[in-house]
Amino acid sequence: MTVTAAEPSTTLALVGGTHRTVPLELRERLAFSAEQTAEALATFRERFPGREAVLLSTCNRVEFYAAADNDQVAPVADELVAFLAECRGIDPARLGPVLIRQSDEAVVQHLFSVAAGLDSMVLGEPQILGQVKQAWVLAQEHGTSGPLTAGMFQAALRTAKRVATETAIGRERTSIPSVAVADFAAGVFERFDDKRVLLLGAGKMATETLRYLREAGAREVTILNRTASRAVELAARLGARPGSFAELAAELAAADLVVSTTGASEPVVSLSVFQQLEHRRRGRPLVVLDLAVPRDFDPRIGARPGVWLYSIDDLAAACDANRKSRQREMPAALAIIEEETLRFMIDVHHRTTAPVIEQLRAGWSETGEAELERLFRRLPGLGEAERDQIRQAFERYAAKLLHPPLVSLRSESRSGPPHGLIDALRRLFQLGE
Amino acid sequence: MTSLLSGISIVCFAASYAVALGCEASRLVFRSGVRGMVMVGFAAAGLLAHTLFLVWRAVTEPALPLSSPFDWYLLAAWFLAAGYLWLALANPRTPVGLFLLPVVLALTGAATLASDRPFLQSPAARAWARIHGSFNLAFSVCVTLGAVAGLMWLIQAARLARKQAPTQGFRMPSLERLAQVTHRMLGIAAWTAVAGFVSGIVLNAVKLPESVPWSDPVVWRMGIVVAWLVVADGIVLATRRRPAGDRIVAWLSVVSLVVLASSLAWGLLGPSQHGMPAPATVEEAIG
Repeated sequence: MTVTAAEPSTTLALVGGTHRTVPLELRERLAFSAEQTAEALATFRERFPGREAVLLSTCNRVEFYAAADNDQVAPVADELVAFLAECRGIDPARLGPVLIRQSDEAVVQHLFSVAAGLDSMVLGEPQILGQVKQAWVLAQEHGTSGPLTAGMFQAALRTAKRVATETAIGRERTSIPSVAVADFAAGVFERFDDKRVLLLGAGKMATETLRYLREAGAREVTILNRTASRAVELAARLGARPGSFAELAAELAAADLVVSTTGASEPVVSLSVFQQLEHRRRGRPLVVLDLAVPRDFDPRIGARPGVWLYSIDDLAAACDANRKSRQREMPAALAIIEEETLRFMIDVHHRTTAPVIEQLRAGWSETGEAELERLFRRLPGLGEAERDQIRQAFERYAAKLLHPPLVSLRSESRSGPPHGLIDALRRLFQLGE
Repeated sequence: MTSLLSGISIVCFAASYAVALGCEASRLVFRSGVRGMVMVGFAAAGLLAHTLFLVWRAVTEPALPLSSPFDWYLLAAWFLAAGYLWLALANPRTPVGLFLLPVVLALTGAATLASDRPFLQSPAARAWARIHGSFNLAFSVCVTLGAVAGLMWLIQAARLARKQAPTQGFRMPSLERLAQVTHRMLGIAAWTAVAGFVSGIVLNAVKLPESVPWSDPVVWRMGIVVAWLVVADGIVLATRRRPAGDRIVAWLSVVSLVVLASSLAWGLLGPSQHGMPAPATVEEAIG
């Protein structure tokens, strides 16, 4: 494979696939483990010397960011597709059509959106920020991160923090277990370490909900399942107490919070059953998270005093409302992304002016020094203090002369690399290439 | 310094509390990163001005705070404002000011209608007057805090019953915490109210051994408040282990505030010998 420069102005390039563009089966094959990432970065460094690269690989995306500084160009998209395909042993013809390809400003905008969780499956989820940071750290460790990617990833982390603090995009919860625990159960109970939790059934949703309850402090957990062995196995795994369904009434009377996910086709707890045990509860509130379909608890139980019954539809509706609330924050988040992208791109474009500015400054400094030497020879009576004063005046004069072209270059950088101005400066002041 | 202190008026701290209340209300409308700081800043500034105002009165007036109905109202408002500031700092996401600050402003407003003539007491009666005023202040503050917690319980319960998840601007404490506060405040209010009523009778007996003014409306309006609080506390104990117990307690706490507010309004607007200078003779007392 050879390094080509098919896109002369490209300093940043990206190829990658996400849950939106790449089918799961192909995404699984494309995913990189930490070791595979390290190997890929090492190979990249050998094959594209002087270029920068960061590889971001999560459950939902694999993205390869490449950059080139110091008058080089980044590898073109086709080269990066071929590189990824080679690393993962996939046919490039199969991979190419499903990968996104972006360059320069679009790369920056994309990375900032990814870091802020705007491109995630769950809008605004915060885990991606840690994964972006980790990808950059890995690139630093393997020597493929340079000034451009470092600047871009630092800016991405800053942008994500701005989005998180200046908008509410990541604040409302959107998963059913987290909403069930943090928004509803915690709305009833102040603490969970003194509450008795009862798990009916052993569904995945129940175990996930239990994870949130454990985080909230729940200690005393009982699991009842029709298949006793399954209850024992799950209880051992989750540090809970197993029980049999024969104990259901007694456990319900003692419980403060019930998470129910049995696969029963009829309600497991009818209104009459609940009314019979109600007096044994001595007025304690009961939160029921009925995550089963069909429902395990008769909905009329929710109307009993002191009972807070939430079905999966109730929780899904709350999740939907939260998602809509996050969507409403999108314009504000996008405005931050746009602002930060522009800021970063101005810096990138401005970097191209550095050699000209340096040459100008050096040239003027050299001329100034020569003129000063001549002046000091003509005025030998000048003391060191006067000479310093004159030298400082010359420096101030040179700085003031340099200021307008610097401002013009900075201003021109807003719309791209200021090649025209740079060329004009080179010709006007006869600067070398 | 003296001119600074003497320049502080009720309007200064009432306006600060009103701005803090406006900030609390704006939670329902829009998000803001600086609102919390502005809100706490104005509440703290209001409390500082309020404190200096009370200190200035204690220094310049012949008696300490609680020496007149005016001071009593302002001191009750001060306790509630201080409670608000503490809660706002400890639980910045809870809109407790929406419930507490209106009461603070109402008490401050009531102060402007109340007499600022000091209760003139004999040295023997003065100690009992302070005990009586302190107990009345304590039970009034407890009733208010209990009612605020009770009202928040009812709103939170309604939201949970409607399966409504909390929003960024409106996150209430848990029902469990609110019920604890309501229970506690109602219990303390009942017993301090009884103590306040008894100390009031003792005060009158010391002041006028021959003619305790049982017919004065202030005596029986306070009697009604005390009786209500004792009955309410009894209901709280009786319903403790019932499924609807917390809801009953929440309603009782709100009704208790209504009863207390009616009694105070009656005191402000109706005839009473309460707060009058002690008569020189028994004949004068009988009229």
